[in-house]
Amino acid sequence: MKSIDKDPVTVDPFQIRDCALITRTSNGLPSLNLREFREQVARCPIDSIYHHFCETVLRPSFDDPEFHNDFAVWARRALHDHVLAERLEILDPYDYPNFEELRREVLEILDDRLAEVTYIPWVEGNRAFHFLRATTVVFDTGITIESPTLLSRAIAEMTTSSLYYHFWEARRRTDGQLDDFTAWLKNWNSRGEPLIEAISNIDFFFLSLRELQKKLRAVIDDTLGRQDQS
Amino acid sequence: MKTLKEYENIVGAAVLNQLEQLAIHLHGKKVVHVNSTRTGGGVAEILAWMIPFMRELEIDASWEVISGTEPFFNVTKMFHNGLQGNTVDLRPINIEYYEANNQANAEKLRPILEEADFVIIHDPQPALLLKLCPNRRGKWIWRCHIDASRPYRKVWKYLRPNLENYDASIFSMAEFSQSLPHPQFLVAPSIDPLSIKNVELPEDEINAIYSRFSLDPEIPILCQVSRFDHFKDPVGVINAYRLVKRFSPVQLVLAGGTADDDPEGAEVLREVQEAASEDSDIHVLLLPPDAHRTINALQRASDIIIQKSTREGFGLTVTEGLWKAKPVIGGDVGGIRLQVVNHHTGFLVNSPEGVAQRIRYLLNHREIMKTMGLKGREFVRENFLLTRHLREYLTLMVGLQVGFSDRLLAAD
Repeated sequence: MKSIDKDPVTVDPFQIRDCALITRTSNGLPSLNLREFREQVARCPIDSIYHHFCETVLRPSFDDPEFHNDFAVWARRALHDHVLAERLEILDPYDYPNFEELRREVLEILDDRLAEVTYIPWVEGNRAFHFLRATTVVFDTGITIESPTLLSRAIAEMTTSSLYYHFWEARRRTDGQLDDFTAWLKNWNSRGEPLIEAISNIDFFFLSLRELQKKLRAVIDDTLGRQDQS
Repeated sequence: MKTLKEYENIVGAAVLNQLEQLAIHLHGKKVVHVNSTRTGGGVAEILAWMIPFMRELEIDASWEVISGTEPFFNVTKMFHNGLQGNTVDLRPINIEYYEANNQANAEKLRPILEEADFVIIHDPQPALLLKLCPNRRGKWIWRCHIDASRPYRKVWKYLRPNLENYDASIFSMAEFSQSLPHPQFLVAPSIDPLSIKNVELPEDEINAIYSRFSLDPEIPILCQVSRFDHFKDPVGVINAYRLVKRFSPVQLVLAGGTADDDPEGAEVLREVQEAASEDSDIHVLLLPPDAHRTINALQRASDIIIQKSTREGFGLTVTEGLWKAKPVIGGDVGGIRLQVVNHHTGFLVNSPEGVAQRIRYLLNHREIMKTMGLKGREFVRENFLLTRHLREYLTLMVGLQVGFSDRLLAAD
């Protein structure tokens, strides 16, 4: 097993894991209009909601992605409903205690919109919305982080999928919606606290994984630098 | 034969490390791919690199090709066309040929297939083998490379019951899939950055293209590479070119081939040649199917790649163009939508006027053109190279091995 560095401590080292996603169809029919879409949102597996809101971050993104979830993209580009797209776009999935609550909120928005419009917006057949879900296969990288001082360097060397697993996916997997770094830093008591605070201030939802990687490194380096000075 | 290590400079060590980590859980597993041809066509191209790479990752992968007579391949051609939505005259005698041929191949392949841990059947030709291997112990996957979104009902009605017992199927895009009573996974196609079609070329080889095809290196080149087919709308591309030429000097290259057995292809080629006949800046190039290096050089010598399809599968020529760091103007259809992102890697368009407008915009914003090209290349590097393709196959096999019981699976 490789190790980033040695710094003997009593806290267990952070085990860096990685993941690979395989996407599949959700077995529901493709939605051709807003009403069908609403029914599918109500019925689809909760993993589909998660996929279309959170796993999108693993897909290609650009410097200024216009939308962060697939529902908003479809509303804007296929239905051409700008109002609906904006209402869906602002949803932050981690603002809700769980993904069923998020689903309820999406349904509220869709029902409101259906009540407002004078006709049901349709799309062309080749613009139907296909509900998808993904399975994430997780594996060990064999790399560990021994101490918080080595965290920034380790993050720099992570793949984006590894970062996704420890930062985004962890919030669905852990109690209290914590990322894995924060959960690990809690074991370091006073050494970890400033870093936990710095990480919690990152508004990660609008960052691509590469941007998140840079941001994490910057706040960690900055916090540790200030600690050294004091 | 290429090794995975040769791709490290292109995709990075982390990507190769991921493949190794995933493959650890498949070491020694027998994986058999079955298709109907060893050479020619996209499936054979994929298997030609996938099998050696799986073996390099210590997976016991092999490739079996079913044999067949002409009547059998006539039927499977019907299936192919029928899955794509064309009406075909499928008769009981055709079904008899198909079943007898699969039976004969099953007699030969049964021992290998029944003892394999994973069997991946490509397209409909060998699809019946599952039913003919009752003592199979592994997981069987049907890989559909065809756009089966709107199949001709008679063909699908016959094939569907023979596909239902597979453990999983793979489609290239959600839009191409059909509902089946097992998980349907999505794996997009990919390109090989070290293949003759995509490998970096020496500058002088690219420059040689100008004199070979009488192109002026000082005038921007627009290029569409595709079969001469109505769905690729080559005449629409010529119309777009004419709209641009009123304002700026440009040259247009339409490069492609047409199959001998495709009467419509010859007809489209005639139409294109007629539309281009009075303009020496339009170069209609009828190239042989193995002119990969020439295509590579043409794409690299071009300023803008066009793929103005009105109907498209995935559109690997778009991927190739993006990989060569060129902005792509593509029809707003099929897999082109997955690759061309407006203002980022190129533009999606719906008419010759749309193509012309975007060409003029790009020719007047050379810096943006350059940025788009670089973005497009990175986009392909992350998403559409064969390493991603291989990773998804490995992920699927690990998932099937563990059982897709949950959203999150531990490989070990």
